[in-house]
Amino acid sequence: MSKSDDNDPNRKKSTQDSLESQPHHLAGHTYDGIDELDNALPRWWINLFYITIVFSLGYFSYYVMGDGPTLVREWEIDRGEQEIAQLSKPAGLKSVTEDELKLVLKDSTRKLAGQAIYQSKCISCHGAHGEGGIGPNLTDDHWIHGGKMTNLVKMVTVGVLDKGMPPWGTILKQNEIHSVVAYVKSLRGTHPAGAKAPQGDLVEQ
Amino acid sequence: MSAEQSGSSTAVETPASGVMERFSYDDRIVRQFILATLVWGFVALLLGVFIASQLADWRLNFGISWLTFGRMRPLHTNAAVFAFAGNGIFAGIYYSMQRLLKTRMYSDLLSKIHFWGWQAIIVSAAITLPLGFTIGKEYAELEWPISIAITVIWVVFAVNFFQTIFKRRERHIYVAIWFYIATVITVALLHIINTIQVPVSLWKSYPIYAGVQDALVQWWYGHNAVAFVLTTPFLGLMYYFLPKAAEKPVYSYRLSIIHFWSLVFIYIWAGPHHLLYTALPDWAQTLGMVFSIMLWAPSWGGMINGLLTLRGAWHRVRTEPILKFFVAGLTFYGMATFEGPLLSIKSVSGIAHYTDWIIAHVHGGTLGWNGFIIFAMVYWMVPRLWKTELYSVRLANVHFWTGFLGTLVYIISMWVAGITQGLMWRAVDGTGRLVYPDFLETVLKIVPLYYVRAIGGGLYLVGFVIMLYNIYKTVRSAPADLKDDVVSAPRLTRNTIENLGKTPHRMLEGLPVVFSVLTLVAVGVGTMIEIVPTFLAADYVEANPLLKPYTGLQLHGRDLYVREGCYLCHSQMIRPIPSETLRYGEYSRAQESMYDRPFQWGSKRTGPDLARVGGKYPDLWHYRHMMDPREVSPGSIMPAYPWMYRDKTDFAIIQKKLKVMKSLGVPYTEVEVRFAEQQAREEAKLIADQLVAQGAPKGTEEKEIIALIAYLQRMGQDFKKGLIQ
Repeated sequence: MSKSDDNDPNRKKSTQDSLESQPHHLAGHTYDGIDELDNALPRWWINLFYITIVFSLGYFSYYVMGDGPTLVREWEIDRGEQEIAQLSKPAGLKSVTEDELKLVLKDSTRKLAGQAIYQSKCISCHGAHGEGGIGPNLTDDHWIHGGKMTNLVKMVTVGVLDKGMPPWGTILKQNEIHSVVAYVKSLRGTHPAGAKAPQGDLVEQ
Repeated sequence: MSAEQSGSSTAVETPASGVMERFSYDDRIVRQFILATLVWGFVALLLGVFIASQLADWRLNFGISWLTFGRMRPLHTNAAVFAFAGNGIFAGIYYSMQRLLKTRMYSDLLSKIHFWGWQAIIVSAAITLPLGFTIGKEYAELEWPISIAITVIWVVFAVNFFQTIFKRRERHIYVAIWFYIATVITVALLHIINTIQVPVSLWKSYPIYAGVQDALVQWWYGHNAVAFVLTTPFLGLMYYFLPKAAEKPVYSYRLSIIHFWSLVFIYIWAGPHHLLYTALPDWAQTLGMVFSIMLWAPSWGGMINGLLTLRGAWHRVRTEPILKFFVAGLTFYGMATFEGPLLSIKSVSGIAHYTDWIIAHVHGGTLGWNGFIIFAMVYWMVPRLWKTELYSVRLANVHFWTGFLGTLVYIISMWVAGITQGLMWRAVDGTGRLVYPDFLETVLKIVPLYYVRAIGGGLYLVGFVIMLYNIYKTVRSAPADLKDDVVSAPRLTRNTIENLGKTPHRMLEGLPVVFSVLTLVAVGVGTMIEIVPTFLAADYVEANPLLKPYTGLQLHGRDLYVREGCYLCHSQMIRPIPSETLRYGEYSRAQESMYDRPFQWGSKRTGPDLARVGGKYPDLWHYRHMMDPREVSPGSIMPAYPWMYRDKTDFAIIQKKLKVMKSLGVPYTEVEVRFAEQQAREEAKLIADQLVAQGAPKGTEEKEIIALIAYLQRMGQDFKKGLIQ
């Protein structure tokens, strides 16, 4: 290898091309034909190294030894802003009456929207046609948490954690919950195949 | 020779001077390691394409336990890192160190034991990982008997390695050898400390660390496996094979000194950047972040020293595939080592962690850097070792372009997937609600990119197969007799102040034992400062008498969770990020995993976080979900686990498990241990009966699924019950 090194015309050329001072081969630094030059450290590289060190010292001093907020503290601040955002939107808190929901029940567009939500969120537990499965049957006249639509809205919003019903209020908007409740109400008496036995109290309607 | 071998640690050797000695290099062992590299490289890449396809289409899990993603992914990573890269490293080290030190390896026998021992370990990994025998810590999955075998074989290698250095005929050790020394020492340190396990049975053990401690030790290990298996040895190999192939002198000796020492000193601290926003103490996270940032320049030092060594040889890059692989490899290394510090910034990690961005990052390194350096090395060594010409330079160029394109397609698709999903997870609308509350929606969005990624990986594999053909044809044209060449070099004279060198570092290069000790100190400092404080865990995880350890059945279910590799797609760590606590609930506390051996915080969310999944769904939901995830979660890409409904729970082992846990300090009572089996059976019966009441079939109480449900329903309950503040 060292032979080809010596005979390589390109090396002389590259040395001439070099803008830096003539790099010299270090005497005695030859290993299996590999020579070593001793060029200076690139300026930008060493500066980069210094900058990262200075940054790191500053960052560590502020966040660990100084007053920098912990990640949990930052989360608390962000969450506080989030809660304010939620509170400032009255739509999220407005209570709804049975009569208002009956209007939704008559609105076919809203019911279609409710059906779409039902298909994506509810069928895994309540079945494709409300027949029930992991969760109860939604087509009969028996209800565990009350059969009024306002009861259903509340139940869907806060969930039934013990039984595995998630609180959809954090995920769906209020009008979406109204739509899906209206759709569920419209399933009453459809007697789908494989309907689960009634659960809860019989509700006269 | 014997006089040299018994030379003292400061390499004071025979007093005779200038005596020429004739000897030969052991090239046979190098050829063997090269062939092993090629065989295992094919296996690793094939497995990679396979599991990438499983993510694109879940049906490729086939409902067969040992083919499921959770069992195949550890096999892919182990094959890629320890079999493909491992054998490649050994091939390159055995070839270059003999020549750089002008001596044959110390012992052909030790070399052979190293070779065959390593292959046996790989084969045993290929058998045990699909069977679900796993420690459950990433890149350290191999169960305790294999883990011990790794230690033994590594020591064999280390003895052979250092003895070879001691009998060298070159006074100073070249920069490549420095990097090899760092590798040999640190890998031993990492492996031994991370895999101290207490066996329960032949193929089951628990780590001595728990929860936050285990997490810190594991990622100190995991990150530095990247450093000392995929970086330092490859830099060493680059320092030998690149100047050889380019026929140019190394650009800067000074630069190599600075970036070597800064790299080995700084790398070891950076592990906690895998644990940003977790329950790890803040100071450790911050250390991990700042040391990662300081790692940027030292990493680039290696890249620029390599690229600048090519000065005057750039015109040859156009025609020579070996130089192409080096240039692209160094560039991918530069990209990955810029991306690494970037990803270690807390706020960037907040978006990127758990997403496919990290997958893009590691594959930029492994495919682009490790793979390409190995390919360059193989193309360079094979014609020399088989005393023939490469069959086709054209095919090698085709290999380069196929591999290059494949790597780009892979990493770009995963960048897009990762950033897309990371932003979707965080999206919160003006009313403070998640825009994409359905986790599944964020998965389905990126499934098309999983197909693209599989194509990228497939291209890389095609390139590799082209190389296999090329090498096969080359080796076929080799002469029958491959005798080792006889070379000669003067015997090394005794070290003196004069011949050791003028500068302190030059003298150090003549004193390999001192050099090795200093390397150990360099990696030891960060290790001690980060790990030791968390061993005094009481300061960080307060004992909480309200917290009960897992019941026997839950513990067994947890081991099934580990066996199936659930942690490879599900995290158990909710970070204090508003969108995340909105999705999953309160952020995870360190106490919550204080009995977790191993910790299962995870590193990727192909599926949602499970830290608080307990009680979220009824038992029946889990029962149906594990049977066929799509039944309750339409569109899900998760595999089905039908065997858990057939296979019976090993109730008899539960008592042994509790005993081992108790010996590790988990507060089980004597009664709980004595009646462990009975209690577990009763608990299983209770769950099975409730399932029947909800509509599941009868007779499931002895099946594994019941134990798994017991565990899943326990997760996060301590917090929900207010036992943890």
